[in-house]
Amino acid sequence: MSVVPVRTEALSKVFYDESRGEVRAVDSVDITCSPGEIFGLLGANGAGKTTTLRMLSTVLRPTSGQAWLMGHEVRDAPERVRENLGFYSASTALYPKITPRETLRFFARVNRYPRRRIEARVDELIERFSLESYADTRVEKLSGGMKQKVSIARTVAHDPPVLIFDEPTVALDVLNAIELREIIARLRSEGKAILFSTHVMSEAEQLCDRIGIIHHGAILATGTLDQLREATGRHYLEEVFVHYAGMRGKIGT
Amino acid sequence: MRTLVALELRTLLRDPRTVLMSVVLPVVLIPALLLIGSQIEDRRAERAEQRTFQLALVGEESQFAAELVESLRDVRAVEDGPGFRLVEIGNPREALDAGSIDLYLEAFSTEEWRELVEAEGIEGDAISPDLDGIRVLRISYHSTRTASREGAERLSESLLDRHRTRRDSILVQAGFAVPSYQVAVVEGVDVASERQVQGARLGRYLTLILLGLMVLGGSVVATDTLAGEKERGTLATLLTSAVSRTEIVAGKLLAVMGVALAIALVQLVNLWVFLGTGLIDPLQGFAVDVSPGLVAALLLLYLPVVALVAGVLLVTSAHANSYKEAQLYLMPVLLVLVTPAMAPLMPGLSLQSAAVLIPIANLSLGVRDLLAGNLQLAWLAAAWLVTAGAAAWVTTRSVQALHDEGLVTGDTSREDSLEGPELFPKRILRWILVLWAIKLLLELNLRFEDIRMGILLGVGLVFLAFPLLMIRRFRLDPVEALALRFPRPGVWAGVALGAPAGLVAAGTVLHLMDFVVPVPTEALESFGQALVPDEVPVWHLVLLFAIVPGITEELTFRGVLLHGLRRRFGGVALALVVGMIFGLFHYELFRIPVTTFLGVILTAVALLTGSILPAIAWHTLHNGLAAYLATSGIEFGGEEWLWGAGSFLILALALWIIWVCRTPYPGVGEGSEG
Repeated sequence: MSVVPVRTEALSKVFYDESRGEVRAVDSVDITCSPGEIFGLLGANGAGKTTTLRMLSTVLRPTSGQAWLMGHEVRDAPERVRENLGFYSASTALYPKITPRETLRFFARVNRYPRRRIEARVDELIERFSLESYADTRVEKLSGGMKQKVSIARTVAHDPPVLIFDEPTVALDVLNAIELREIIARLRSEGKAILFSTHVMSEAEQLCDRIGIIHHGAILATGTLDQLREATGRHYLEEVFVHYAGMRGKIGT
Repeated sequence: MRTLVALELRTLLRDPRTVLMSVVLPVVLIPALLLIGSQIEDRRAERAEQRTFQLALVGEESQFAAELVESLRDVRAVEDGPGFRLVEIGNPREALDAGSIDLYLEAFSTEEWRELVEAEGIEGDAISPDLDGIRVLRISYHSTRTASREGAERLSESLLDRHRTRRDSILVQAGFAVPSYQVAVVEGVDVASERQVQGARLGRYLTLILLGLMVLGGSVVATDTLAGEKERGTLATLLTSAVSRTEIVAGKLLAVMGVALAIALVQLVNLWVFLGTGLIDPLQGFAVDVSPGLVAALLLLYLPVVALVAGVLLVTSAHANSYKEAQLYLMPVLLVLVTPAMAPLMPGLSLQSAAVLIPIANLSLGVRDLLAGNLQLAWLAAAWLVTAGAAAWVTTRSVQALHDEGLVTGDTSREDSLEGPELFPKRILRWILVLWAIKLLLELNLRFEDIRMGILLGVGLVFLAFPLLMIRRFRLDPVEALALRFPRPGVWAGVALGAPAGLVAAGTVLHLMDFVVPVPTEALESFGQALVPDEVPVWHLVLLFAIVPGITEELTFRGVLLHGLRRRFGGVALALVVGMIFGLFHYELFRIPVTTFLGVILTAVALLTGSILPAIAWHTLHNGLAAYLATSGIEFGGEEWLWGAGSFLILALALWIIWVCRTPYPGVGEGSEG
């Protein structure tokens, strides 16, 4: 019997802000993601993408609702959840004082990858992400593109079945962004369940198997690009997005 | 977890600056200081040996003085090397001012001296009539110059010495006529061994020095480890890995402890190497017999101190969102940690007292006693447990800090985008802390002859300037921020009834406190009386003791502070918090509970009426009555329980009236989860 890698049910997060009072950052979100699938969360800045993904990665506690990763509930078994998860975002940085090889070894170890196989795994990752020439140079001395590759290798160091990419291309130049998308597509073909958030329409169009449009914390529509086109009668994703977000009468933030 | 600690240490060792700051610097600092200290001492001794003081002799009787100084050469010069060189000079005072001589000696006859005393109004011992005919010697020196000061000291010592010898020989030669049983020679004997004296001296400073070094070294690692990781984004990476937060904190704590422990160890070994083996000439008074066993015992005693320091640094780091912010917190943290380590410097404070309950202070006292050769095993064990307990508690706090979502995500972007009135609630406590520190500094440093000036500046100006600054800085609406609204008329009846009752009730609170912490008697007899100067016009009293604090303190506490905190707490908590902060601004320990009591009531009145005006009226009336009672010496019977109980009843009645006429403060508790 196979479990759904990612599933949420009425997942919500409410913040209290001293000056604004109650803020519903995520409002009753239901999503699923299957093996070999890229599910895209598409929304403007501040729509609730990052908060949703942080709840899935157990960094934030949901106010209400539930979420499961590989059958583990985020509140009940946060450590099991994280063992099965690779999380990548523009803000997840690397330790500057250690080398890529040490980085991979460290993250494989803390994520409970079988100890005896760690060295082999690290070698494999270095080969796969072509890190050979700088595997033993300290991270602080690497270029942005090199760091990005090490970062992705770090994310999959323990070979997790679920991967979360939270606006991964936000700080990248065009070439690096393209390379990153290729790597993500490759990971999909390996059978990973991938959650991907972005506010860039073209990125979602190219990469995602299914798209959830999120606005003011709520999912307005979910489906493949074709399904969304059919439902709205618009061709471009941008128009589809405006169609849904505009229906709510609140465009942008 | 081992992986985590290994990572921390590896990161630490690969950063040359960190290693330099936290390990190398402390390692070389102490020996360097000792070396410099002992060299300075050597040089000073050498210079004093070689020193010839330029001395002028003045006065009618200078011949006598010359003979005396001449005779000193025989006595002192042999022992102490060259002493004084006589200089002929016209105006000795001018020469002394100009520095061409170090000191001059005047000799007077009794008559001359008496005339001088009369003319110059010199205070000092008058010479009793039966000593007529003796001479008076006066040494003039300039205390800002070392040579002059030392010369005067040396001359005075030598003269007294010489004088004593001469007097005794004269007495003996003249056939001393007093029976011997009426005479006693007084001798003092210090039974403390040299080792004990010097051990105690070292023990007084050891914890302080070690603690300072541990905080400085440990903080480099601690700030880097949580705040720095937050800033770099590596904490986010770590939090999405399978390690638990407890493990993260434990790993980091061990790393910080490792560094602090290494520093302590290195310093203790330093102590042993340089003092114990005599590699460096010990400073005078620090020649302590340090054995490896003693070093081991000290290390054991310092273990909980190390853990506590590491825990506190880690909590501080966890609460900061960036390296810079963490560094900002470091200074106050350093002060908080170092203050208890000064306990051994406090005269009369011993470990066998309540001091055993104060972490760090207790062990620093214990270390002093141990070095002085006084081992109190049971007390030492208690001290160890108390400090270890504090360390454990602080450590759990840092684990909790990692569970606090705002801290974890390090999300300052939203706060940065806030400004003006929206930012104010997030900043008010910080500003109040600054105000508290400023007020404390004023309190400690400003001493006015006339207390009226003190009140005008220290209360009036400070508490008026603060709300104005806040309104300007955060562009607040003055009416909203200061709650300038009119309450219902009935409220005034409540205030008129409540203020006097509150005053009597406050007296009762003071008496109740006496059961917990003994209150100074003078405070009990009439609290406030000491504050009021005599012979002051009544309108001054009314203005300075009632109206000025009544208005300005309310503008600060029930004005901007309450406004800033209103969304953060519910009503009851708000009254307690604002009341407590108000109380803490009264720095004398025994006044804090009473003023907190008053502060809670005043906040409650402001919350019930949604206005600052009744609180101002209440506060003014309260202070005015207190000042009046204190100056007129009327006993209001705070000691009698009937008065106490009655006052509380009337107070309750007054608050009930205000409650009936309530127009609640807007927005209270809206932002809190309750």
